[in-house]
Amino acid sequence: MKLHSNPWLRTAYARLWVRAKSIYGEPLWVAVNIGFPFFTSFSLTMVYRAYGLNSFTGFAILGGVMISFWGNVLWSMASQFNWDKQVGLFEIYITSPAPISAILVGMSLGGILGTAPSAAMVAILGWVIFHPPINAVWPAVISVFALTLASLYAMGMALSSLYLAYGREADSVNEALHEPVSLISGVYFPSTGGFSPFPLAVQAGASLIPLTLGMDALRRTLFFGQVFGELYLDLELFSLAIMGVVLLFASSKALKYLENKGRRTGTISVRQR
Amino acid sequence: MLDQRLNDARKPTEEQPGLRNVMNRVDAEITVQVEGLRREFDSKEGKVVALDGVNLQVRKGEIFGVLGPNGAGKTTMIRILSTLLLPTAGKAGVMGFDVEHEPEKIRAVINMASGAERAGYDFISARGNLWFFSQLYGIPTEEAHRRINELSDMLGLQNYLDRKFYALSTGYKQRVTLVRAFINDPKVVFLDEPTIGLDVMTALSIREYILKQAKEHGRTILLATHNMAEVDAICNRVAIIDKGKILACDTPAALKRSLGAPSLVLEVSPIPAPGSLEPIGKLEGVKGYTSSVDEERGLSRIQVVVDGDGSAQSVVDSVRKSGMTVVSNWRQQATLEEVFVALVGRGFREREHEAAQ
Repeated sequence: MKLHSNPWLRTAYARLWVRAKSIYGEPLWVAVNIGFPFFTSFSLTMVYRAYGLNSFTGFAILGGVMISFWGNVLWSMASQFNWDKQVGLFEIYITSPAPISAILVGMSLGGILGTAPSAAMVAILGWVIFHPPINAVWPAVISVFALTLASLYAMGMALSSLYLAYGREADSVNEALHEPVSLISGVYFPSTGGFSPFPLAVQAGASLIPLTLGMDALRRTLFFGQVFGELYLDLELFSLAIMGVVLLFASSKALKYLENKGRRTGTISVRQR
Repeated sequence: MLDQRLNDARKPTEEQPGLRNVMNRVDAEITVQVEGLRREFDSKEGKVVALDGVNLQVRKGEIFGVLGPNGAGKTTMIRILSTLLLPTAGKAGVMGFDVEHEPEKIRAVINMASGAERAGYDFISARGNLWFFSQLYGIPTEEAHRRINELSDMLGLQNYLDRKFYALSTGYKQRVTLVRAFINDPKVVFLDEPTIGLDVMTALSIREYILKQAKEHGRTILLATHNMAEVDAICNRVAIIDKGKILACDTPAALKRSLGAPSLVLEVSPIPAPGSLEPIGKLEGVKGYTSSVDEERGLSRIQVVVDGDGSAQSVVDSVRKSGMTVVSNWRQQATLEEVFVALVGRGFREREHEAAQ
């Protein structure tokens, strides 16, 4: 079978296209996607500098890059099916023969592709303005970055089922999750290990969020030149890979379960009867 | 005649062959089969029965109307047939596949659209949205664009295809929805109030489009609506539904013929107080009545289904006795609403009002 005639690939590609194109549909969104993370990075870079921690300014810029993806996962992955349900798109998905896994994967890849240019812009602006010191082995950085995104978006897929089950409060849940997760996952500073300001229990809990381990692994490879074979880095990558697989599996099962439950209870559509 | 049909529709399901047997037999003409279909929902007030032992068969190429007031169970039936809901009891099948056990097989040959839906991605063009929906069915891009152009042409959407979805008016969004509903060349299409909230001209062009789809492509279309003119204009057969039960099922013309005598229409003044028309329903020879208020003219219009001239005169007398002035009265050929009135005793408006309470 030719790849382009595979319905799974067609669905995934179409959803990717819609997602990537929609992100650039409104110029204000583009400005917000670049502006917000950059301004936060800028502020925190100034704080690091004020304390004479010039070698750590890269943490703040990396945080700006990764927060763009976290925002995309939360606002455009996790809550997407819930919004789709509100406007009637979810029932179109269900009544079509399209595999829901293809829609999820397309949505994730589209989100990554759509967010990448604004994340890159934050990185370029940060590096041009602040020249943070970097000590990277690039193949390791790229591999860690890819694994972190894969795991993070797998979490987005799993959250999409939870949001669907939870109902109409998606916006409030997003608001409630955005800042706390950014804080405990250490987007702008190390939140695990010896430099963490948090007690061990919070660190352990935070490690269940792919962003936490991914950020730490990225800092190790990007600023401290660590490569595969370093025990702690390997552990983080192994955990990220396991989390990614488990979350992917969980999201697929959860959506199938929710579809069956929705058919029993009448909750696939907003209007029950 | 109508009473006979009513009795037929209410026959217990044991008298009919099981769905499995019917669906398994080689009968390419039957595309939708529903038997003893029941659906309950949990609510704060307890169980709500949305469908109560519905039986029907729809043939290939037929436009089959399901007509009833809001809350009658039309949407629930469409949701079950389009695999969005499971039945609580009974059986339903599409193209020989069972909705409960073979939803994937049904999804490959159907499509659905609702008039209440405005589903699309706002910042993507109408064409982009339609291409996206075509990909859910694995249609090659070239073929998808050919179908988008052909269907859009029929609905006068061509010049709007490159506009972003959010920039389209309600009528054009609805056209996009209707192009989507046929994009996968479906064998059976479920349409739920496809012209609701649209202006007369748009509704007309949509009805013409639905007719063409059935006539030229042999598609089966199940149309749920409370618009009687729509059913009259395009449906081959219609099932009248109320409180989850099918009350009658036949061609619109046969249903109207079954009433026999033309109905009586009275314009009365002043506007009657609530409940003051109830004696009309108790008169001999009156099968039912419905009324509406014309605020502008300060009148109330009462449509009464009667079985002959004698009954019509007793209605006029009764109205006069209750202190109202009959401004005008005439006889008119029965409409489907009067068929409903004859079956239920009340009109759509009264039924919806009762349901809201």
